Amino acid sequence: MRRVIVAAGLAALAFPGNAFAHASLEHTWPSFRQRVQTAPASVRLNFDQAVTVLPGSVTVYRAGGTVVSGAARSGADKHFVVTPVRKLPKGPYTVRWHVLSGDGHVVSGVFTFGVRYPAPPPTDAYGASGPTRTEHVVRWAYFLALALLVGGMGFRLLIVPGPLPRRAERRFFAVTGIGAVAVLEVGIAAFLLRAEDALQLPFGRLLYGDLSPIVGGTRFGEAFIAMTLGFALVAALLYLAWLTDRTILLWPAFLLGLGFASGLSLSGHSAADAGSSWLSELADWIHLSAATLWMGGLVQLVVVVWPAAPDLRRAAFLRFSRLASVLVACLVGAGIYLSVLRLPQLSDLWTQGYGHVLLVKLGLVCVALSWGAVHHFVARPALERGDGGILTRLPRSLAGESTVAMAVLLAAAVLVDSKPPPQRPTKPPTAQRIVRAP
Amino acid sequence: MQPPAEHVHWMFATGFLVLGLCLLAEAIVGPEVWGKRRWRAYLWPGFAFVMGVFMWPVMVFFTNSTIHTLAHGAWAQVMMLAGGAELGLVRGKLRRPLWRLCVALAFLVSGAAFLIHEQNGWYFQRSAFLHHLIGWLMVGAAIFPLGRALRRRSLVFESGFALTFVVLAVCLYCDRDLAPVFGHLSPLAGTPHR
Repeated sequence: MRRVIVAAGLAALAFPGNAFAHASLEHTWPSFRQRVQTAPASVRLNFDQAVTVLPGSVTVYRAGGTVVSGAARSGADKHFVVTPVRKLPKGPYTVRWHVLSGDGHVVSGVFTFGVRYPAPPPTDAYGASGPTRTEHVVRWAYFLALALLVGGMGFRLLIVPGPLPRRAERRFFAVTGIGAVAVLEVGIAAFLLRAEDALQLPFGRLLYGDLSPIVGGTRFGEAFIAMTLGFALVAALLYLAWLTDRTILLWPAFLLGLGFASGLSLSGHSAADAGSSWLSELADWIHLSAATLWMGGLVQLVVVVWPAAPDLRRAAFLRFSRLASVLVACLVGAGIYLSVLRLPQLSDLWTQGYGHVLLVKLGLVCVALSWGAVHHFVARPALERGDGGILTRLPRSLAGESTVAMAVLLAAAVLVDSKPPPQRPTKPPTAQRIVRAP
Repeated sequence: MQPPAEHVHWMFATGFLVLGLCLLAEAIVGPEVWGKRRWRAYLWPGFAFVMGVFMWPVMVFFTNSTIHTLAHGAWAQVMMLAGGAELGLVRGKLRRPLWRLCVALAFLVSGAAFLIHEQNGWYFQRSAFLHHLIGWLMVGAAIFPLGRALRRRSLVFESGFALTFVVLAVCLYCDRDLAPVFGHLSPLAGTPHR
């Protein structure tokens, strides 16, 4: 019986299909996110192979969900699918398509266009439901991975730049290595989850979903490209630093990591929402970088320095305490600016969903800051006085502070995926009386 | 402005050819002679690692579906893992011989990714044929790195391992985006444009 199953499995791999094509979309009219001046009479899709039209193969929606397309049909050339549309008024439109390719797989996709109107990104297409709980968790995992990687390297370079005991060095590379792998893996997972939402497909069909409008047509897709490439390079540099025992290689890795983390700021609320500017993008990046360095530093203290480098505990704690003061100032300053920007009214804090999440985050930040303040104002002077007893109590306390910081990152992940309340329109400028010169 | 996919295949074919020839030279002259110059020991694992890094741009720029993204991501990671593990062993940073199994794992994962991501039949077109061929080649040839890990200095395993890369390079050089295989091209694939 076992032999039959093995033989069947091998045969299934060797002869995957009877008829044999997996079509890809090559062109569309109108094209992805095109803003057309004249309403088209039809939507046309061009595939690289002949495809079969299914019932409801192409559906065109208005912003509110009204279907404005007729029945799709194959063109004279089977590579084309044509769908007539009603007379389209000004506005954004979403096209959802699925066709049967020769291998029996249904390939699917989504794209948007606008008639005398800017087309939204496909992630905001009609039908996309927005971030799910899974996406919150994935984003949280991404923040944690960034903290392990970038924060870990920052700690090594800024707090303990000299040689480390062998065991501590091994632990440092293990922690940052896990961070590097996680940044890449979680980044891919986050991208696919967002694509799944935009395409509105179950996983089986998502495998053959057309990702090109999302990769090339959205800020999120562009950030995915840049961050994947950037963090692959960071991972390679980190590996070379381990292989060659050259700490100097950590500097380019650290700076690249900090730089490419800005992809989140350049593709999130601070870049895309109303009222955003280069200043909001910069504030968001500072906020993220400071949180990453703080959290990553705490993990390094708990996991690397305390158990594996006892001689460095005192010096590392004192130096990190000083750096943490600067990081907290950046974190709080940038956070306040961003909160004011996104919630112009104080009452938004308790009347809006976004405000509720922000309140939870602020509460957790207060706990973390109080914990940090105890370390700064109680533990640090005691260590400076040479009180060795405090060293035995600190690791549990640092682990507690790290846990609260992780909870802050979870709240931040939910906040990033939430929609801030719409900005209230500002009063139109009053007309100035023009006084003509005599 | 992206190069056609077949050009990217040819670039990687060149990398695999260099890698295979280095390994073949080592198998022929023996590790003592090959190791007279220290840097030679780093040559093939370094190549594998760098090719893994270069696979990331292929993943993000040349993928039009989820399954392609996942397959290219898997190749990037296993190439970096295999090259990285071998470099660590050469450098003395890794000591356990079990790390040598990373290359066998990379072969298996790569082969499976080739077979899973190619949805067309063997004779659909040339690239489909080559994807199946490479997939089975990698799965079958995983025996060589496995044997190499367990029986060091076996001429059969060493040369088989080296020749696998040479055959892989030849397969990738044969690849064209839309071309017949043994005179056969599915009408569904379209007409060759070059």
